[in-house]
Amino acid sequence: MTISSAPDEALVLAAIEQVWGSMLFASAAPWPADRPAEFETGLQAQIELRGDWNGRLVLTCDSVVAGQIAGAMLGLGPEEQLDQPDVHDAVGEVLNVVGGSVKGALPGTSALGLPGVREVTAVPARDESFVVSWGDAPVYVQIVPDAA
Amino acid sequence: MRALIVDDSRAMRRIVGRILEDVGYDVVEAADGQQAIERLEEMDEPLQLACVDWNMPVMDGLTFITEVRKRPEWRAITLMMVTTESEQDRIVRALAAGAHEYLIKPFTGEAMLEKLDLLGLLPTSTGS
Repeated sequence: MTISSAPDEALVLAAIEQVWGSMLFASAAPWPADRPAEFETGLQAQIELRGDWNGRLVLTCDSVVAGQIAGAMLGLGPEEQLDQPDVHDAVGEVLNVVGGSVKGALPGTSALGLPGVREVTAVPARDESFVVSWGDAPVYVQIVPDAA
Repeated sequence: MRALIVDDSRAMRRIVGRILEDVGYDVVEAADGQQAIERLEEMDEPLQLACVDWNMPVMDGLTFITEVRKRPEWRAITLMMVTTESEQDRIVRALAAGAHEYLIKPFTGEAMLEKLDLLGLLPTSTGS
């Protein structure tokens, strides 16, 4: 592994900003470190990157936020509801596109996996992630290298 | 005109489908390359366009394009890769395998329609 081929926070944030803007018609910004960012039940999507750097990108958000992201992606009105599989699918696809942008910007990254989505009951640790905004809600992002 | 959308994401199939239906296409969907082959084999009407994701389970988009290009009866189908794979070598591989166009996710509806226009596959009824 070379340091230059590892994704960093700035690169992933730039990819999220691009995807939020072009697919979801929303803006993303870093979440203030001193602002609470808790939720109880959420959705976690992850996707693997393979190449000179091996690891995964992980995105975790509140269940309601996940529904909002899916609705924005599909251009639904606020009163329209999606089934859970459609929400999982849409959030996974959002991370897939973020992963594709990151992969394209990294030298020596050869493969992008398929996204996986699951429900979670705890947020990631703040010191193991960075947080971006979805409207007035937090979305956790983790860059997780494979264990050595 | 008829289009086949091949993508493992239902959300993405819905987005691409809406863009195509808005300009007059009848849309058929498949969740992977193998299912897309089966859809093509079942069809009794000609297909003008297939929009194909790269990374899918069962059969990926590059393999699907290669398989389609082996079949003379499917030679008239225009193949457009619609994918997150943005590296130059991927684009070259897809075009070499037989793709006619390449659209990188994320994309806008306008970008997709521009590609269709370049391919001569934008129905004239839209006035574009």
